[in-house]
Amino acid sequence: MSNRRSRQSSSAPRISDDQIIDLVTKLRQILPEIGQRRRSDKVSASKVLQETCNYIRNLNREVDNLSERLAQLLESVDEDSPQAAVIRSLLM
Amino acid sequence: MQPTSSMKEEFLKKWQMGLQIYRPLIDNTSVSERRKAIKLSADVAMASLRKGTTCWSRALIQKTATEDNFLVRQMLSGIKAETLINKKLPKVMCHRKIVRRSKMILRRRQSRSAIEEVAAKARKLIKKKTQGLRNVVPGGEFMSNDVLLIQETLDYIVSLQTQVNVMRSIVDAAEAGSER
Repeated sequence: MSNRRSRQSSSAPRISDDQIIDLVTKLRQILPEIGQRRRSDKVSASKVLQETCNYIRNLNREVDNLSERLAQLLESVDEDSPQAAVIRSLLM
Repeated sequence: MQPTSSMKEEFLKKWQMGLQIYRPLIDNTSVSERRKAIKLSADVAMASLRKGTTCWSRALIQKTATEDNFLVRQMLSGIKAETLINKKLPKVMCHRKIVRRSKMILRRRQSRSAIEEVAAKARKLIKKKTQGLRNVVPGGEFMSNDVLLIQETLDYIVSLQTQVNVMRSIVDAAEAGSER
């Protein structure tokens, strides 16, 4: 597994195999649904990176969604109603 | 690596602070303006959790500052805001010429075995996918070091999870409170 001996240690920012494995493991742990599908770390590293991009995009989309819902809520709530008080206490 | 409750608390406090700043405006604006305000304060709150220690958080603050300079300055206190907003993003190993040269040298020197061929292909694949990451992580375009990129990604994801987590709880609670 160690290609390290044959590789020059240069200033080029290349990932070593161990670094890849380590980081991909961490990514796997925080991505919600990546099954332990393959043993081969190289191939699944690529898949993990792809899933990571998708996951980040989904999270951002959800934030937009939540912001929209909240904006709607604030709009529709009557200034003096108890609902307004609830929202205000939660947020402000 | 999970969003901790102290991260969530801190995010909530900062987000609330941002919303407070918008308070006088909130009553008089359209829904889309309000949405933008909510999102921007959430982003600054999330980024400020890192206190300028990560590349993505600095990039996000700078980006938000271009959309609403006032808000960012208010949310980050005083001097810190100045340095964070104006600080040049680090030229993290953007020494492309050096990288290119050393890659060329490496290629010339290596005589490839079959295993190395496979590894090289895998690297190319990974290179393509890391490009995708650079597009979604704030400041990714400045991270030519792949290790840094992935580390930043990890941190960014945990922060995003914190943000989503807290916002979801608040919005759910607020909506529940609004139902008759």
